[in-house]
Amino acid sequence: MRKLQFIGLFIFTILGLLSCEPKIKSPIPSKGELDVSKVIFIGDGQMGGYMNDGLKNEGQKNSLANIIAVQFELIGSNSANIPWINSASIGISTAGLAPLHLGYKTDCQGNVSLSPIRDASIGDVSSISQSCYNANNPFTVYGIPGLRLNQFTNPNLAGTNAFYNRMCASQTTSLLDELLAQNATFFQLYIGLEDVLDYAKSGGTHETLPSDLQFQQNYEQVVQNLTANGAKGAIATIPDVSQMPYFTTIPWNGLTLDNSNVGTLNNIYNPLGFYFQLGANPFMMVDSSANMFAVRPIQSSELLLLSLPLDSVKCNQMGVLFPIRDEFVLDAEELTFLRGKIESYNNFIRQMAQTYNLALVNTDQFVSNLADGFTYNGVSMSAKFVSGGAYSLDGIYLNPRGNAHFANAFIKAINKKYQSTIPEVNANKFDGVRFP
Amino acid sequence: MNSFIKIIFLFFGLQVGVFSYGQGFQVNFQGQKQQGMGCAGTALNLDASSLFFNPGASAFANKSEVNLAGTAIFADVLYTDSATQTSYRTNNPIGTPFSAYGLYRFKKSLEPLSVGLAIYTPFGSTVQWEPGWIGRFALTRLSLKAIFFQPTFSYRISERFGIGAGFVVSNGSVNLQKDIPVQDSLGFSGHAELAGKAIGFGYNAGILYHVNHKFSMGLTYRSKVNMSVNNGNATFTVPTALATSFPNGAFSSKLPLPSVLTLGLSFTPNTKWSFVLDINRVNWKVYDTLAFDYAQNTSALSDTKSARNYESIFAFRGGASFAATKKWILRVGSGFGFTPVQSGYVTPETPDANRLYGTCGFSFVANEHFSFDTSLYATRMQRTDKNLETQLNGTFTSIAFAPGISLNYKW
Repeated sequence: MRKLQFIGLFIFTILGLLSCEPKIKSPIPSKGELDVSKVIFIGDGQMGGYMNDGLKNEGQKNSLANIIAVQFELIGSNSANIPWINSASIGISTAGLAPLHLGYKTDCQGNVSLSPIRDASIGDVSSISQSCYNANNPFTVYGIPGLRLNQFTNPNLAGTNAFYNRMCASQTTSLLDELLAQNATFFQLYIGLEDVLDYAKSGGTHETLPSDLQFQQNYEQVVQNLTANGAKGAIATIPDVSQMPYFTTIPWNGLTLDNSNVGTLNNIYNPLGFYFQLGANPFMMVDSSANMFAVRPIQSSELLLLSLPLDSVKCNQMGVLFPIRDEFVLDAEELTFLRGKIESYNNFIRQMAQTYNLALVNTDQFVSNLADGFTYNGVSMSAKFVSGGAYSLDGIYLNPRGNAHFANAFIKAINKKYQSTIPEVNANKFDGVRFP
Repeated sequence: MNSFIKIIFLFFGLQVGVFSYGQGFQVNFQGQKQQGMGCAGTALNLDASSLFFNPGASAFANKSEVNLAGTAIFADVLYTDSATQTSYRTNNPIGTPFSAYGLYRFKKSLEPLSVGLAIYTPFGSTVQWEPGWIGRFALTRLSLKAIFFQPTFSYRISERFGIGAGFVVSNGSVNLQKDIPVQDSLGFSGHAELAGKAIGFGYNAGILYHVNHKFSMGLTYRSKVNMSVNNGNATFTVPTALATSFPNGAFSSKLPLPSVLTLGLSFTPNTKWSFVLDINRVNWKVYDTLAFDYAQNTSALSDTKSARNYESIFAFRGGASFAATKKWILRVGSGFGFTPVQSGYVTPETPDANRLYGTCGFSFVANEHFSFDTSLYATRMQRTDKNLETQLNGTFTSIAFAPGISLNYKW
């Protein structure tokens, strides 16, 4: 019987020992060469949480800045101080509209389908009409929707940008001066998207793009000033916006024809040398240099914009008898110009990172990786509109999950440059697109 | 104490969840005496469990015998994601592989013949990850169960040479669950559950050769069993707007359970000591793809083919037994198995690694009819990998132990 007791004791000792689970052994995140006593975030709406064509509290929480800031807290940084919009507000777009959500829409043919629709007929102007500045608690996130590089030194920015107006200390000092007053030890700057976006979103009809010299002067002025106190930082290149779903969703050859349509159109267009066939055909677009009727088929390399009024296409012969107007198309020439400018700006940004010894985030690479598609912890991500999971419903700005991936690109670049070991975020924890 | 109550509870066979307990999702708990000796014993006729380990050895049984055994597997896996340094655990149910063997020894003219029925669980796995874990879109739960029924004939050709073979019918089930990265208006992710019953057939054959009164050799071949799920049921929980994209319905799939070739050696220098060594060749190469074929495909739901690319492996198992008295027999053993899972293919369903384990056990012989065996198995393993398909990149650490007992009755 003693033997039995001994063996019983032996077994239960082992049971006790082994019932412990595997121990977690994660290294403590290190800040490396970073000084995180004052970290600020500077950029346009992408930095500040603008998404679904609007800024609201939910987007701010899931902004690029806030996602990075939460990870920075792991190495001792303070939490981000954000000019919050009231969480009860529906928010507002740069054009004063309400943000988008995915809902059901009935088109001109009576077909109901999923589509981005506005949360309300008009945005909540009151959400940004009051100043929220507090001198005792200065903001650390300057993610200002619509902000362009050439506006940093403009002392009247508050008068033209309501999002900046509500957060600035003074209506008459420039953004750059306000930023310098913060005396940051580390800054994260993503600027330049809005400088190219207006041109791109207008189908190349609005103004033109900043000259290389102008861009370079403005960019260096900002970086030079921000680093003057010895601050370190991360700067980011500008993506090829034409890879975003706003420009890639509507197919160039989305004109589907049956037998009778083919005949009618061929009767009309054959004299101009254009021929139609059964099935998929290119839409017709305006091109003043094409012929005396200023019309030609769109080419496969040219992009139709998400602003194209689809009901007019479906029901009113737009793109067929009435060619698609220039403002809805980025034609080959415009695309070459746009991409060339972006590349030239990026060359300078890369050079700035070298000159001022800053971390460089390759946003262009990130956006083109998204365009190619990748898998992340079992989830396929791509730049496809809605189903791709990264872009919000405006087709330009990232949704929370897209922001989390973008934040990881920042964290990787910063860790690499400054020998820090800030953990990345689990991007899958963040919202993609919500379906009804 | 809670664990102890669970063991008792499980011992009555109320649950048949099985955590992967050999390499891949092989489970090597088919006999308590063998488990005490590193899961080796192909070259010995230890008890009726030889119907599994070597039907040729069963030819040397002197008596008819019934053997009932169960093992409780307590296994915990910790996953640490390399990019986020966050950790997640499994909440696995306790695995309960069991076996039941009945061997009938003919008398008189049929004397060299034995017949038997073996029921056992050589493959299986239940992995349940904690809610919200980072790999939830790859897997949240997988449960594989396979119960083998093996009627067996054994024939003793001479005093030295026995052969045996059995036909295997395998009855199993699979239940695979994961989250789908589509969110409803409240932000909840979708979920997929693929459940089905599977059936497969195979055989188990072996020979035992007594070289002399000290040395024996055994050779067995347990065939591949193709488990086919022909009418599985796929259930998707998705936002209303996507219901037509993820139609609930039938699916089919196949899971090959690999063949195992074993060479066993034993050395019994005297009546007190016995040493065994088994070398397994497990033909895991058959598991190259995990495919699901849905009856109804949509743009969002296409048939899936996931590369598994398992490699065939060797495993080495050895142990010793010592008869302390006529009533008490003590055992100890160890084993090492290479993992069939190549780099780039480690999945949360089978976070496998090269595995070193230790075992011990003892038997108590109450009288000429009754005896009782118990064993304990313990292992820890770790594997860091980046899965090529899901891009899950991190480290799996597994700790497991498995106590088991069996009851024998001879007549």
